[in-house]
Amino acid sequence: MRNQTAPSFELEQRHVTDDLEGRLRALWVLAQSGDEAAYRSALALAAARLRGYFLRRMRTQPDAVEDLVQETLLTIHLQRATYDPALPLTAWLHAIARHKFIDFLRRHGRSAALHDSIDDVHETLLPVVEHDFTARRDIGKLLDRLPAEQRQAILDTKIEGLSVAEAAERSGASESAVKVRVHRGLKRLAAWLRSET
Amino acid sequence: MKTQELVELLARRAGPVAPRVVQRRLAGAALGGLAAASIIIIAGLGVNPQLGAMGAPLVQKLTFFGALALAAGWLTDRASRPGAPSAAAVASVIGIVLAMAGLAFMTLLNAPAGQAGSLLLGSSWSTCPWRIALLSVPALGLLLAAIRTLAPPSGRVAGFAAGLLAGAVGALAYSLYCTETSPAFVLVWYSCGALLSAVAGAALGSRLLTW
Repeated sequence: MRNQTAPSFELEQRHVTDDLEGRLRALWVLAQSGDEAAYRSALALAAARLRGYFLRRMRTQPDAVEDLVQETLLTIHLQRATYDPALPLTAWLHAIARHKFIDFLRRHGRSAALHDSIDDVHETLLPVVEHDFTARRDIGKLLDRLPAEQRQAILDTKIEGLSVAEAAERSGASESAVKVRVHRGLKRLAAWLRSET
Repeated sequence: MKTQELVELLARRAGPVAPRVVQRRLAGAALGGLAAASIIIIAGLGVNPQLGAMGAPLVQKLTFFGALALAAGWLTDRASRPGAPSAAAVASVIGIVLAMAGLAFMTLLNAPAGQAGSLLLGSSWSTCPWRIALLSVPALGLLLAAIRTLAPPSGRVAGFAAGLLAGAVGALAYSLYCTETSPAFVLVWYSCGALLSAVAGAALGSRLLTW
């Protein structure tokens, strides 16, 4: 889409000198109240930030970066309720990224981190990387492995874009059952990403 | 699936986030544990028949462990969220324990000669901590289950905080039965029971609270 040639990610890095906390938090507050477009923008911004965060720490394994970005995005979505609006959003985001990174190291041995620092740097020094590397693990294929009810609930609401009420009517389940199936399905996807990357 | 496609998928029909989810889950677990522990103490050991006439000692126990439960609950809330500072919650836990320690110290200082020992040991020091630890089990189980749905940066810390909250809940239930009246007894032996629960919570938390 943006760049058809295979670019070095160094060229794609853009150092943030503007107010990411301010922009992201403004979007996030709207997203928390149910604004879908704001949530999409916020997640895209968060994804670019996460990519920079992981790339900086995993230069030796760039192919694992996108897996980790996607796993972390799923976690962010599933854990939306743990963000306290009184606190900085980037602190929440980085704490999740850090947790996921350390978890990754634990599963893959510390050699991955030999040249890389876990320490947080000032946020204005963190790159936002917008190039979308290909993840090794295809979430689309993982979707097919979900139990039928969970897969259907995700396909109905998340792919086809039906409202929860419409999806409930189609499947003959209650609205809260549909919500639970979507949540459990995404949770299972996150667990698979964690165990298989 | 490209990351941008995942973003689209996650955002579509995401809906609003319910307010205060963390607080409601933790409070529900703690209250459920309090109800379970109260039923166990009422059915198992029975309520102290002199409870209504106890006065100040009962008020002290309930105030101390009520406040400790709130402070430990606040700490558990902080420990269940990524990037949330917990220093103020830790300070409030310490402050509440110090206030109770001050009260206990004063009663020991003002005690008639030779009475300090009995104020400290009462008649049930050897059973009190174990009973409180056992009474905290339902709350601890419910709290750990609740925190498993959240994102604690450290399972050990979140488990410790949950264990402390569960211990305070167990102590509140135990005060329905207990006949001890000395603040020094309550400070030392009740808190021992709550600490047992906290240590168990930390050990369980580091294993169970992964995400």
